[in-house]
Amino acid sequence: MATSASSEPEALIQAEGLNKLFGELVAVDAVDFEVRKGEAFGFLGPNGAGKTSTMRMIGCTSPPSGGTLRVIGMDPVSQASEIKARIGVVPQMDNLDIELTVRENLEMYARYFDIPRDVANPRIDELIDFVQLQEKVDSKVEPLSGGMKRRLTIARALINDPDLLLLDEPTTGLDPQARHLVWDRLYRLKQRGVTLVITTHYMDEAEQLCDRLVVMDKAKIVTEGSPPDLIARYSTREVLELRLSDDAREKLATSADDLADRVEWLPDRVLLYTETGDATLAAIHESGIQTYSALVRRATLEDVFLTITGRSLIE
Amino acid sequence: MNATKIVRRNSLVHWRAWRSSFFLSVLSPVMFLSAMGLGLGSLVEEEQAFGGVDYLAFFATGMLAASCMQAGAFSGTYPVMNKIVWQKNYDAVLASPLNVRDIFLGEVSWSAVMLTQLATPFFMIMAFAGIFDSPLAILAIPVAVLVGTSCAAVIMAYTATLHTDEAYTWLFRFVVTPLFLLSGTFFPIDQLPAWGRVVAHLTPLFHGVELVRQLTIYDLDPSAIWHLGYLVALLGVGVVVGIRNFERRLLP
Ligand SMILES: Nc1ncnc2c1ncn2[C@@H]1O[C@H](COP(=O)(O)OP(=O)(O)OP(=O)(O)O)[C@@H](O)[C@H]1O
Ligand SMILES: [Mg+2]
Repeated sequence: MATSASSEPEALIQAEGLNKLFGELVAVDAVDFEVRKGEAFGFLGPNGAGKTSTMRMIGCTSPPSGGTLRVIGMDPVSQASEIKARIGVVPQMDNLDIELTVRENLEMYARYFDIPRDVANPRIDELIDFVQLQEKVDSKVEPLSGGMKRRLTIARALINDPDLLLLDEPTTGLDPQARHLVWDRLYRLKQRGVTLVITTHYMDEAEQLCDRLVVMDKAKIVTEGSPPDLIARYSTREVLELRLSDDAREKLATSADDLADRVEWLPDRVLLYTETGDATLAAIHESGIQTYSALVRRATLEDVFLTITGRSLIE
Repeated sequence: MNATKIVRRNSLVHWRAWRSSFFLSVLSPVMFLSAMGLGLGSLVEEEQAFGGVDYLAFFATGMLAASCMQAGAFSGTYPVMNKIVWQKNYDAVLASPLNVRDIFLGEVSWSAVMLTQLATPFFMIMAFAGIFDSPLAILAIPVAVLVGTSCAAVIMAYTATLHTDEAYTWLFRFVVTPLFLLSGTFFPIDQLPAWGRVVAHLTPLFHGVELVRQLTIYDLDPSAIWHLGYLVALLGVGVVVGIRNFERRLLP
């Protein structure tokens, strides 16, 4: 049994003042975070925020430029092989071996990890079932759909039965059905106790999968918390989205501050942050402002990001 | 050894396309030798010019080293660029416990294996043709492999600095092909002007060709040490610079 006295699970990743520079460019700027055993931890941020750079440092394929980083209690520069033996990596771009079949991709990877054949073979069968590629085992990689390739990459990352799985934008570019299938598999991994680190610029993905996340923007971590915490902290419960004529926008501008807690003026829409969207909409109509369309929705992490940075997650 | 894992992966893929591999390693040298050696050889009568051997023997032994150089050089270009730039296979390998050294040494070892598969049938064809009879001749195989492998290492090191394949057209047109012509493969370098002979001495192929001929059709002489030393040193430089360049490229 663990002798640890505190109830806090052990930290699998600890970063303090972690930096990554590419020449003059600061890709990751003094970030601090901690990923605990068994949790699903997210990096949410727009393009170029520094998510991949951070993941590559954790995955021991990019040496940090400064600060400290420990992964499973080890140093990612001097103990790279030991760390890599215990983690799985799903990179942003699939890098499967297109000269090999689905099964061979897994067999070859098992060999890289020195997994003996009698352990690897049953595990490969299991992984192929897990990612639902039974029909494709002997197919080459090239003709697989994007979703299948992604699932094969996930299976490959699981070949060493890792304690920690790094997923860099696991569902970017997949259609909704393929995304849900990936989410479902990741959810099962989480249930089994695999620690997940996920980067994404989809707020729905972060909300679905992450217990805790950091929001990254321009190389920095701008905030941290669980999805519901962050929404409660940075947004009202509801958001009223309006599309308006220019006239109506001007009219609204004079009274908006009284109608809502906060207003975001986007080029195509106006967002009013309010506890009850319907009441606010009624008040707007009463004051004689015409709307092309109005939508009341629950606040999301997208609104959190907008509140903090003044920009949308996906440009 | 982790490098052998890279060799196994490459040989699996290589022999899957066995028809083209077989063609490359056996049929093409046979065709080349017969066409060039017999065709040209019948025109070239002056045996003194080739050190007292017939042209077929002169040409075939040069070609053994030259075709290894060419195949070795090629193996350091597109196949490696593919794994760095286009398919990013090395990124996948580096996410496993293997490191950059394993990858580079694996690729270099693979070149050596592939070149042995090319040089051996070539050598046997020459042996059947009765071009040489010294038992020492068998050492021509490792020498030819060394020529190709050292070129592979140097060119892989160069590939790690490239982002597109444009440079390869130039590399083959202005480096590899002239090496062919200036290294004594087709004619002895004393036919060249003085500057040409100086250039020849700087090229790996010249040393390889000389060494192969000393082991097969001429007598071994002390210059063999210098030729061998050159090739080993080139391989050493290629490996050291290559690992460094791979590290810079693959672990940014
Ligand atoms: N190898 C590299 N050399 C130079 N600059 C780099 C390199 N890798 C990343 N960068 C730069 O570092 C910054 C952060 O990039 P990074 O890939 O970490 O962002 P990201 O959050 O993963 O973005 P995306 O959502 O587009 O994947 C960007 O400005 C990028 O151009
Ligand atoms: Mg990225």
